[in-house]
Amino acid sequence: MRTKFLPIFLLMSSVLGALAISGCKKQAPATNADTAFGAYDAEPDWSDPSKVVKLGYRESQGKHIFYTYCVWCHADATPAGPSNRSNLTPMPPLMNDGEKLNGESDEFLQNIITLGGTALGKSEMMPPYGKTLSPEEIKAVIAFARAIAQPPYKAPGRPGPQYAPK
Amino acid sequence: MPAEEMGKLSDKLRLTFAVSTVLCVLVLAISPLKDFRAEWKHYKRAYVRFAQGRPDTKRLLADSNMEIDQVWLPSMNVTDRCTTCHQGITQPSLADASVPQPFRAHPPIPHNTRDWGCTICHRGQGPATEVPEAHETTLAWEQPILPAHFLQASCGSCHQAELKETPQLTRGRELLAYLNCSGCHKLNTVDRARLGPDLASVGYKVSREWIYKWLKEPRTLLDKDGNTTVNGYESGDESRMPQFRLKEEEIRALSAFLGAQKAKPIATYKINPAVVSAWSKNPELISQGELRFRQMMCTTCHPVAVTRGGETKLIGGNIGPELTKVGSKVSAEWLVAWLRDPQGYLPHTPMPRYGWSDEDLYKVSQYVLNKLTDSDLLTNIPQLGAPSDEEIQTGKRLFTDKGCSSCHSLGGAPTQKDFGPDLTALGRKNASELEFSKSKIDRNLVSYIQAKLQDPGSVNPAARMPQYSWNQADLDAVTTALLSQTGAPPTSALQHLVIPRKETSFQPVGAFAEVFERYKCTDCHRFNGYGGTLAPDLSYEGSRAQKKWIAEFLKNPQTIRPTLTLRMPQFNMSDRDAQIAAEYLALAVQKPEVDPESVDSRQFTPAMVTKGRELYEVKYQCQSCHTIGATGGYVGPNLNNAGNWLTPAWVEAWLRNPQALQPDTIEPRRNFTEEEIRDLTAYLMTLRVGIKPHATKSAEISHSMGEGAGR
Repeated sequence: MRTKFLPIFLLMSSVLGALAISGCKKQAPATNADTAFGAYDAEPDWSDPSKVVKLGYRESQGKHIFYTYCVWCHADATPAGPSNRSNLTPMPPLMNDGEKLNGESDEFLQNIITLGGTALGKSEMMPPYGKTLSPEEIKAVIAFARAIAQPPYKAPGRPGPQYAPK
Repeated sequence: MPAEEMGKLSDKLRLTFAVSTVLCVLVLAISPLKDFRAEWKHYKRAYVRFAQGRPDTKRLLADSNMEIDQVWLPSMNVTDRCTTCHQGITQPSLADASVPQPFRAHPPIPHNTRDWGCTICHRGQGPATEVPEAHETTLAWEQPILPAHFLQASCGSCHQAELKETPQLTRGRELLAYLNCSGCHKLNTVDRARLGPDLASVGYKVSREWIYKWLKEPRTLLDKDGNTTVNGYESGDESRMPQFRLKEEEIRALSAFLGAQKAKPIATYKINPAVVSAWSKNPELISQGELRFRQMMCTTCHPVAVTRGGETKLIGGNIGPELTKVGSKVSAEWLVAWLRDPQGYLPHTPMPRYGWSDEDLYKVSQYVLNKLTDSDLLTNIPQLGAPSDEEIQTGKRLFTDKGCSSCHSLGGAPTQKDFGPDLTALGRKNASELEFSKSKIDRNLVSYIQAKLQDPGSVNPAARMPQYSWNQADLDAVTTALLSQTGAPPTSALQHLVIPRKETSFQPVGAFAEVFERYKCTDCHRFNGYGGTLAPDLSYEGSRAQKKWIAEFLKNPQTIRPTLTLRMPQFNMSDRDAQIAAEYLALAVQKPEVDPESVDSRQFTPAMVTKGRELYEVKYQCQSCHTIGATGGYVGPNLNNAGNWLTPAWVEAWLRNPQALQPDTIEPRRNFTEEEIRDLTAYLMTLRVGIKPHATKSAEISHSMGEGAGR
């Protein structure tokens, strides 16, 4: 009788144990959402068309606004062909001109787009867009400019140590 | 067994019990341990540690707990536990790309996560609490996360009306309409398409050999490197006529059947012999024809290959077919008859009816027939000879069997419907419902759609769908639009979330109706949301432009802006037609808020004009975008003739708030005072060119630059 139950006990517990341990071991590989699910949109690098800059949601919204409102004066090629940029004195910076724009803070860019050039002591040829675009839309345009900047833009003083979840 | 030994246990049995008790306790401990080590708890704890390293720890941890967090919206069928791990999605300070996932904030969108959940847009398995379960395709869950690049498809599930935030989806829907996908497939939210040409009399237009060549090798093809070529020239545009996989005898039969289609004889037109004899020997004939071809702005709709600086490329719009080799395609009588009266041959054509002098007609048709040619076009085509009855009968059957009749009619007969599968719920299909046959692509919906679009035979060797040619951006756009076809909402309670597409139409009445039909204004112009987007929206033209100017412009549309390549054609409009159109536009299409008579320019004084000019040139520097005289920018319309062109009421209203008049205009709204508005208007109204007003409106580049010319 006792020898009859022993194997059953052992069997049951080992099966349960094995199940539990296998359950414990089932650890998912860390999924990097950025690579697994792709970029929302992309923009060719202006200075090197063979490279592509991947854009997130906000930068993509900014790209769309840029190509509607800003491209005519802040790029050398426009969807219609020639650019208005060379017509203007002083010549407006290209939107990817990192040397000029990386040094300016997000707040400054937000202000100059919202209030126009004169309000910040720059050219009046830059009109104010504060009554045409929402603050959120202007932030998106800045995010796009930062994404395509050459040399690349590095945000100043990012808080906290770099953290990896696993 | 002796009685005294009953109830006593042997040492061996005791040991067994002891071991199994320990095992039992261990087994019981496994469950809490497993729970403690659950993946989502790992992320919970990691978030706390992460938040402690941030300056705003307190705010980041305000709602933090060790429970599963879930958005439960029973009415919308949403149970989303995504926020269990994605804990920072509503924290504005975590928006930066340097914040590691899964803690990064969601970018600001018009919808609130708490009201909508996550899976309505992103798909994936909402109730899952493990990373792969939530994101990937599993045996029990076949709807993985939608790749971010196609996310706009989810917007389209509810927003059937156009959204300005989803350009990729909008482009995809446009392509579905442009390529007439709904000719074969049932689709939601796709505009009515222009069908392929009616073929009832195609036998008069082209030869059987040309049809053979066209079926074998349509104008637009993918070359060896995967580039789209039109007639051998590289192009970014899609062609409407795809390549069918036809056997030699099928092509012979179809070309026999179509070549025999001669329902309505061509109304042949005999050009005045005096004109012919005067010009036929003139060495300038072809170059003069080319000049007129360009002056009439045929390339606004039709692309033509142009060689400049050793590089040949296609220049022109995409409303009509490419014409580089059309002289080797059509018959001479057909061409002349077509140019005079396109609607006489093809009632549904978008081609307007130009007013031709015999001289122009001769010059242009001779240019097309002699210069836009390719002597090698039919070189490799066998001589097919007269078709046999049997071939014609087979061709007739194939015309229906191959789906030709889904796009082409034969004399107004209704085209075949639902030839291909219903795609209205394609975006919701599980991978197991799709046919992958032996292809090596990933087993998911996105790769399936892309593989099928690129090469229908790759996933289904027996597919009837023909071969289209795509560039990557358009392929992705169409994929997005197809993924948005998610059918009716899963519960009727969600029906109210669907924002339907607005049906628009513009059907003028009276004398203008005929003029409108003749010149096909809505090919390029839009009225109240109906029509093309190539040229300015004319919904409020009566408030904007002066009647006299409209009539002059229609007779002689001129664009002095050098940057615009697609311009209004020169229709050679008669005085009467121009007058009828001007009357109608000036009176019938006005913005109620802008009465063109409400501002009288006689009130303007020279002092106001001087002040206005100073505001324009110094304070606001309008010349950065607008041209007056020979100087200024290219962005806004040229204002040289503003005084003859615009109504002062429109100028004032426009300066107050341009977006109120035209929501998509790029002119920024300024902070002008009422006095400044009056002065600027006074100045602009003094800008006039010549005695006879010349059209200087540069086709309002603000619109066409943004919308049309970029295509």
